[in-house]
Amino acid sequence: MTKILKHIDTTHPRLGSEVKMVKKTICFLFCLLIFIPSAHAERRRFVEVVSHRLDMDVSKVGLDTEVWKSINPYRHPLQEQFLEVPKPVEVGVKEIFVQSIHDGKHISFRLAWKDETKDDSIGLMNFSDGAALQFPVNKEELPEYFMGEEKKPVHILYWKAWRSKDLRDGFQTTKSAYPNMTTDIYTFDYPVKGKGTEKTQAEKDIFIPGKAAKNPLSFPIKGIIAELSATGPGTITFKNIENTSGDARWENGEWTVIFRRPLTVKDSESVQFKLGEKMPVAFAVWEGSRMESAGRKAVSPAWAEVEVEK
Amino acid sequence: MKMRKVFNWQLKRRVSYVYPQSRPKRQWAMIFDLNKCIACQTCSLACKTTWTSGKGQEYMFWNNVETKPYGGYPVAWDLGILSKLKAQEWRGDKYFGKTLFEAAEKDEKILQHISEDEDWAYPNIGEDEISGMVNRGDWIATLPHRIWMFYLPRTCAHCTYPACLAACPRKAIYKRPEDGIVLIDQSKCRGYRECVRSCPYKKSMFNVETRISEKCLGCYPKIEQGEMPQCVTNCIGKIRLTGFVSTPDNSRKDNPIDYLIHEKKLALPLYPQFGLEPNIYFIPPIHVPITFQEQMFGPGVGKAVETYKNIKDDQTLKGLLVLFGSFEKILHSFKVDREHAYGFDEKGKEIINVPVTEPIYVRDVFDKDLKAYRHNTP
Repeated sequence: MTKILKHIDTTHPRLGSEVKMVKKTICFLFCLLIFIPSAHAERRRFVEVVSHRLDMDVSKVGLDTEVWKSINPYRHPLQEQFLEVPKPVEVGVKEIFVQSIHDGKHISFRLAWKDETKDDSIGLMNFSDGAALQFPVNKEELPEYFMGEEKKPVHILYWKAWRSKDLRDGFQTTKSAYPNMTTDIYTFDYPVKGKGTEKTQAEKDIFIPGKAAKNPLSFPIKGIIAELSATGPGTITFKNIENTSGDARWENGEWTVIFRRPLTVKDSESVQFKLGEKMPVAFAVWEGSRMESAGRKAVSPAWAEVEVEK
Repeated sequence: MKMRKVFNWQLKRRVSYVYPQSRPKRQWAMIFDLNKCIACQTCSLACKTTWTSGKGQEYMFWNNVETKPYGGYPVAWDLGILSKLKAQEWRGDKYFGKTLFEAAEKDEKILQHISEDEDWAYPNIGEDEISGMVNRGDWIATLPHRIWMFYLPRTCAHCTYPACLAACPRKAIYKRPEDGIVLIDQSKCRGYRECVRSCPYKKSMFNVETRISEKCLGCYPKIEQGEMPQCVTNCIGKIRLTGFVSTPDNSRKDNPIDYLIHEKKLALPLYPQFGLEPNIYFIPPIHVPITFQEQMFGPGVGKAVETYKNIKDDQTLKGLLVLFGSFEKILHSFKVDREHAYGFDEKGKEIINVPVTEPIYVRDVFDKDLKAYRHNTP
């Protein structure tokens, strides 16, 4: 506990003289966390991230832009997802470091966490590293922090390492996953030309069920971040909009991922950030080499908050 | 998590399941006569050319045929889950052991064996390998054989209590009320692979090209037309029959599936102890030791083998077995008289009749007209 408080003393930029009061609050919330296992969101919001207002074009800030060096990262603890079976016994990533900046138009989150293995290649039982940010669509009626609730949707920004590799090396296929594989012929993929052999891609895709069913997972997306909405566990749907862009890099056993988007957008089912206000946020991280996927993930212990500096 | 209790007639007791009991109006079922399978793989290819010829499906065999005791697709799928489940107890024909749902580890829905990528790369591993060494001077004198092997064709079992369906966090897998066929909604699946992990028979498969999972469809478009699946109608060994199985209390004697499963108890489920009430049923091979088979098909194997051995004295059973593989349509009822076996559709219309015993013609060895000897060489 003392260690955590010391860490907060040194890393929290806004504590200063208020440190005693904050210590008390944190102690209280920490006790709540230990003694009250229920997941009531309101009571368990305990981490605050400040999104610093900067005089620069945040939409163009990349992974290595100098500005990140001047922003203290917030250490955000993660724990095993504990509400839905199957629950992971343990998770690979137990903390992430969060930074955020905005310029009045765009907001950017930079997440960093240790992960010894880079899992970005597709395979039958390869699982992708991943990370997600979750916001309530309506923060006045805050849902349970885990995946939202019926009539209380959440907006999720989801990065998957597979998508980063897709973008860099081309959409991954069976052939890229298993280069030594051989196949005689695919239906309608004729090696010769002639009458009846001219088939459109759509005709060929009939034999690829995910594509025929137009499952968005089976097609490339423009960037690496997918936007999703959910109204409870198991209800994820694609929003079919791409207002969020991102960058990701794995280096020396660490992932660094940027999520950036406009503060406000037209879509009423999307998160809207207002200057000077706090927005609840929750994080999730998947460690692919541990076969983490769906509910087998590391999550925030409760809603955190991001304060969008005026 | 809260588990429900559902009745599993194969185990003769209530078992744990994730959802409450909800049986379909009728249940798709397939019967395989393992005494007749020759592992020609025509079924595997009939399925493959129909359903899994696309990109991402290269490794998929929704229908496969493996050689027991050593073969398996994916490799050791059965040994993997059996060694996790450990020895369990039957008392008579009632199961007192734990099912896979009942043996689940903490915070899991079901006990799992996870196959690795490479396990899927040898669909015909162990083919024709026999159970042990042949000694000099060995010959086959008795049943069961001392050294043996047999072929095991498998599709999805369209279980009454499917593990895949229970495991899917998105409810993207559903069991059709009209025929009990279990399907993965290709527009809803998100490729979590909980079904791939959880199906003990390893019949949910991940497609890396589409990034979602797929499985055997039970050839539902053919079933809807009143026809049997591709793997059945293309079986050159005529070992298969598809139809609808009732629960034992609703068994109809004139339903060929019910007759074999409930009335004669000749066709037995595969690994009933897993607790999923699978709906592929096997007529056990008579040359394989009973102890080995009891682990696969439950305690009814001994009696089933005896019934099969005495089939020559059972005109009805003999007649029903010659109906296998003689037609495309689903039989809803059948009857056998002294000479013929008849099959009928849902409206009672006769769709097939075959002689129970094929007539035999014996010709002279020497053909006088052609002045040639007839040889019996194929």
